[in-house]
Amino acid sequence: MNFPHLHLLLNHFPIIGTIVGLGLFLVSLVGKNGDLRRASLIIFAAMALVAIPTFFTGTGAHGAIRKTPGVSEALIERHQGSAMLALLFMEITGALSLVELWKSQGSSRQSGWNWTLSAVLLFSIVTSGLMMRVGNTGGDIRHPEIGSGSDVAAEESALSKLVERFEPSPGKFAELMTASKWWWAFMMDMHFVGLALVIGTVGLLDVRILGFLKQIPIAPLHRLIPWAMLGFGLNLVTGILAFTGMDQYYTYDWAFWLKIFAIMLLGLNVAAFYLTGAFKSVESLGAGDDAPPLAKFIAGTSLFLWLAVITLGRYIQPFADTVSVHK
Amino acid sequence: MVPPSFLQTIEETGFSTWLRESESPFAFYFILLFHTFGLALLVGANAVVDLRLLGVARAIPLAPLKQLFRPMWVGFAINAVTGILLVIAYPTKSLTNWDFYVKLTIIGFAMWVMYRLKREIFDDASLDETSMMAKGASLAKWSLVLWFGAISAGRLLAYTYKYLTFPS
Repeated sequence: MNFPHLHLLLNHFPIIGTIVGLGLFLVSLVGKNGDLRRASLIIFAAMALVAIPTFFTGTGAHGAIRKTPGVSEALIERHQGSAMLALLFMEITGALSLVELWKSQGSSRQSGWNWTLSAVLLFSIVTSGLMMRVGNTGGDIRHPEIGSGSDVAAEESALSKLVERFEPSPGKFAELMTASKWWWAFMMDMHFVGLALVIGTVGLLDVRILGFLKQIPIAPLHRLIPWAMLGFGLNLVTGILAFTGMDQYYTYDWAFWLKIFAIMLLGLNVAAFYLTGAFKSVESLGAGDDAPPLAKFIAGTSLFLWLAVITLGRYIQPFADTVSVHK
Repeated sequence: MVPPSFLQTIEETGFSTWLRESESPFAFYFILLFHTFGLALLVGANAVVDLRLLGVARAIPLAPLKQLFRPMWVGFAINAVTGILLVIAYPTKSLTNWDFYVKLTIIGFAMWVMYRLKREIFDDASLDETSMMAKGASLAKWSLVLWFGAISAGRLLAYTYKYLTFPS
């Protein structure tokens, strides 16, 4: 697998996407445009999802260029630290956007100001700034034509230096994750609790849309989605923390990458559900009602992909060291 | 203390050795995978019923959720079978670990609560939604706590064992 290529392919999305999302969000607030506001929230959530594989491919990219002459280990470490901080804010922005999308569902018109909107505004501004720094520190690694001198790290602005104080040291953070086996066991435990929550809620909705358990009306089942989001959030946090703890282990594992790929497809599937009218077509279905084919197709895809995610997650262990890289 | 020798006997059978040592993706990890599917089915369905009884998503009518008890039993059956196979693969590892017995005890209680939820709440046609919730609330709380405990004790099996295989 060519990690540097993958990393370059992905890494412009969360940076530029977040900035574009912020621009649209500001315009929607000034212009009081509810549809545009929802669009920008969807962009934030999508960028929060794409930021995950972007972050993960960084480890492999690091491995591929570490022995290249002129590549500074210190600059890579600085880039990784900045990426960790930006990822934290990106995920919070994405989560808040989903909360606001959930709260404002059904009303495309401008609803009043509330705390989630303020929080999205604050976090998306900070995330955009941090993302720019991630781009800059990443560019410094391999693009000497941009920098004016040889010692890039020495000519940072006061603001960059301030931000850097909050950035974790990747090595120390990884040590923190793996130092105690009980902490690791706790994270894995939460990862399984999240799994049970997601499958219980989303799985039930999927199975019902597919036409089983027909005595249950579909519309109220949708009220379980916040619990699915809670389960997914639990898994996202514990999953990212586990990756930062043992990034070498996960990076060279095919099952891991296929699992991440399946999660990205699930993101697309959720978008298809809510944006193609499939959700509208099942929203008010009561007991005994049959869902239209498109909704069934999306529900079937969701169920298949979630089972694939569990399967691939289970096979991470035996698939350790299966990714070969050109050295 | 030396573990009892019958553990070694099981471990040395061809079946146990195959489960444990086969390079085939359909051996140990396949069983572990189905143990996870069973967990998702059993605990996932239980969690939804418990949450609903505790007042989450009140718009979902309670009575038809009775249908979820069948998938729960299917999940339990899958996990009973795969669980036994996992013990056959690593008898010394599981049976010399105190956490293994904690896990089985918790599951025993959780299944008892699940059975009572079905019998006392969902099978009683005289109860309306309000009284189902009032009567089922404490069972639902216990169910959530016990399943959380069962998952945790199960996860801990990977970190608490004394022997991986019979000590030579």
